[in-house]
Amino acid sequence: MTEPLALAERALAAAAGDEMEALVHAERSGLARFAASDVHQPTLIENVSVQLRVVRDGSVGWASTNRLSDEGLAVLARRAGEAAASAPRDPRFDGLARGEDLPSIEGYDEETASLAASDQARLARDAIDAADRDVYGFFTSGATEIAIASSTGLRAEQRLTDATFLVLAATDGESGYAEATSWAVGALDPVAVAEEATAKAAKTRGARELEPGRYRAVLEPYAFAELLDYFAWDSLNGLGVLEERSFLTGRFGEPLFDEKLSIADDALDPGGLPRAFDFEGTPKQRVQLIEDGVARGVVWDRQTAASAGGNATSTGHAPPVALRQYGPAATALSVAPGTADSVGELVRLVDDGIYVTRLHYLSVVDPREGVVTGMTRDGTFRIRDGRIAEPLVNLRFTAAVPEVLADVVGLGREVVLVNRSDFYDERDPYGVLCPPIATAGFTITGSGSGPGL
Amino acid sequence: MRDLCREALDAAALAGAEYADARAILRRSQSIATKNQQVETITDAESEGIGVRVLVRGAWGFACDRRLTAEGAQAAAERACAFANAASAGRQRPLAPLEPASGEYRTPVARDPFGVSLADKIELCLRAEQAMIHADVKVTSAHVRAMHETKSLMTSGGVSADQQTVETGGGIEALAARNGIVQVRSYPAAFVGSSACAGWEYVESLGLEREAPRVGEQAAALLRADQCPSGRTTVVLDPEQLQAQVHESVGHPTELDRLYGTEAAYAGTSFLAPDDLGSFRYGSELMNVTADPTTPGGLGTFAFDDEGVPARVEPIVEAGILHGFTTSRETAARLGHGVGGSMRADGWSRMPLVRMTNLHLEPGAGTFDDLIGEVDDGVYLETNKSWSIDDKRLNFQFGTQIAWEIKRGRLGRMLRDATYTGITPSFWASLDAVAGPEAWVMYGGTNCGKGQPGQSAHVSHGAAPARFRDVEVGVRS
Repeated sequence: MTEPLALAERALAAAAGDEMEALVHAERSGLARFAASDVHQPTLIENVSVQLRVVRDGSVGWASTNRLSDEGLAVLARRAGEAAASAPRDPRFDGLARGEDLPSIEGYDEETASLAASDQARLARDAIDAADRDVYGFFTSGATEIAIASSTGLRAEQRLTDATFLVLAATDGESGYAEATSWAVGALDPVAVAEEATAKAAKTRGARELEPGRYRAVLEPYAFAELLDYFAWDSLNGLGVLEERSFLTGRFGEPLFDEKLSIADDALDPGGLPRAFDFEGTPKQRVQLIEDGVARGVVWDRQTAASAGGNATSTGHAPPVALRQYGPAATALSVAPGTADSVGELVRLVDDGIYVTRLHYLSVVDPREGVVTGMTRDGTFRIRDGRIAEPLVNLRFTAAVPEVLADVVGLGREVVLVNRSDFYDERDPYGVLCPPIATAGFTITGSGSGPGL
Repeated sequence: MRDLCREALDAAALAGAEYADARAILRRSQSIATKNQQVETITDAESEGIGVRVLVRGAWGFACDRRLTAEGAQAAAERACAFANAASAGRQRPLAPLEPASGEYRTPVARDPFGVSLADKIELCLRAEQAMIHADVKVTSAHVRAMHETKSLMTSGGVSADQQTVETGGGIEALAARNGIVQVRSYPAAFVGSSACAGWEYVESLGLEREAPRVGEQAAALLRADQCPSGRTTVVLDPEQLQAQVHESVGHPTELDRLYGTEAAYAGTSFLAPDDLGSFRYGSELMNVTADPTTPGGLGTFAFDDEGVPARVEPIVEAGILHGFTTSRETAARLGHGVGGSMRADGWSRMPLVRMTNLHLEPGAGTFDDLIGEVDDGVYLETNKSWSIDDKRLNFQFGTQIAWEIKRGRLGRMLRDATYTGITPSFWASLDAVAGPEAWVMYGGTNCGKGQPGQSAHVSHGAAPARFRDVEVGVRS
């Protein structure tokens, strides 16, 4: 790959302004997607892009390019300068980040970075061959380098890798799901993922409908991670608080959730997908969001922290500029484990309820109340007498996440990293570290299609 | 750029490809967003590269390279072939026949959007925001965008096409909050506004400033509105919500690749089966849905798709009966029906997928007032707020930003937090009126997600207000 920090320096040198910042994103990745055990959509990506932010008289403009020639960088500088010159002064802007010491993190694995196209095809085949029925999903691995240099003295650079196996085992009337993610491909076992998915699928034939109502429920980490991710979008984000969209607005210090629940955002945890700094170059901080059920904090970037005033400072959660309108992003959610030895123990604790493997197509109905709707899929079951009983069709839920988290029956002892990136645009892998959870309240509002194809 | 495509095809042939296509793309995108009377972002992005798709021993390969050079084209072709070689299981993968052709296409543009100064674009956003300011409105925002894309496509089957596409769009939004209630109103559409393949004249035609006072007033008024009651009732949908309904419950389930399971692990499959074609009753006789990649101004308008298949109009639902799918050459060959024509990729770094182009609910007859006039008791729902549908596209739930009570043929009080839910074919079977061509409006969205790695497609939908009987409204958590 191109040396990212050197490229950022070249972009800075080409620019003119009161302050300038260049961010380089380099990606080499492959995603081998398969359906009916046939690799049908492989995507191998090589790209390097430079984003330049220029500040002139308190006005800010951005431009980006992947033309890395001197001429390309000159055009980049001109466009960023024009953007800044066209904008009115922004009184909220308090300058670009200065250089700070960055945390030392893990998150880069040479074996993962060096996987060739043929390796990616072979690893996808390993997952396919381990299944006893048709499988759908992908293997992906990527090496990403991010570098930021600024005229204010900031120099930050990070290499990261990520790899994911995702397997849906499905036939007519049956489907089961599993996935595994790590920054080191050697930590992943395609056979185990395929076997988990196929074993789950085998239990889903003959699914029945369920009367709408409020049920006790066990959510596997796949489902819990997605629900939290959607809740975090409005509620665990400083902009959501400023705009009063967050459920936590005006409620900090209050016991809003079950005391068994503690959630942090921790990009420094080597069990996740570690990051040393955000897209403004601010060092990542571990942020306690919920502690023993009490709302403690949200994540901030430089602008929202400045707008909030008081003691708020950036926690290192600035998103890419394309997502800036949504505010700082909690992209390393980490739920503290509980005491249940297994998901089976959570099923016993629930006794009478439902078991949810995975969610589908979530949408925020009411951000302030944290109401989210979506479907379950690929492994929904009834729990009776503390055991997994008959399979259920895909269920529509419309649930206030704070209510789901207000009465936690139990949490698993084992925490799993769940991939949350759909790999749109430039590669920015992220995930949620969480255990399975048992809740006393999960509201089902309808039934949908059955499992399987 | 054609020369680079040819380099890629030659390299693919040398590496053993029995078929290859190459797309060399230059794209420039400009986006201006303002919020609370400050500029949130001004971005001017350019991206270029070449994407090469190959078939080697029956296996697909796709690789891309940012370098628009002979080396970049060859490297992408060789990596694509290396993958396909490694992935090949020796299966046959026939493609629907396609005649060699060459052609050019340009979006008709009256006013070049990149000729409009950034300062003027910012000023438009700030003026629209200013007009939304209202008591209880906490956040105002506005955005405009422009994109110019030059694409050369060449296939080993003898298709060569050069296409230049221009997109413009914009939108405004007001968020009101008071006493723990949060409400939002948007125009012309929620989330990403609305875009078209057109010049700056499209943004001017939206009238963002003109509509802004209403948007601000309605956001504030919603804070004091009653919640939409629950129960089964008659629903009239405005064209903006209806285009979301068409997109989710007709567009996606009629993508033929979903029927064959290629999206099963992510976006999902479809409740339809291939042999439903020509016989499945999708909805009432008033339901007519057309895929039209020739619609002037549509975001899915082109001369050739990303496999080189010429654009052509396809009826998807006629008089309530399923009559077509959106297809690729591969899925069309597998079905034994159709020729492809709906393969689209999100830029040079993604493999083409079966995507919607412009998918329209055809107009019926009469006016909006006629639709409302025949409702004794119901609700009129405007502007999408939330959306969710199951993996086979059967069970859906939508929320809208605003609702209005309908009593004895007239619109009544404003209602908030409206949702409705249903099962796709039953819902469309309950369609009993679609307003006429005068009420037909087209919207363009830039956020249709599909594929792994994810791809955002730009698609347009047109619809006139329509009426549905006996719909479940008001789902509560």
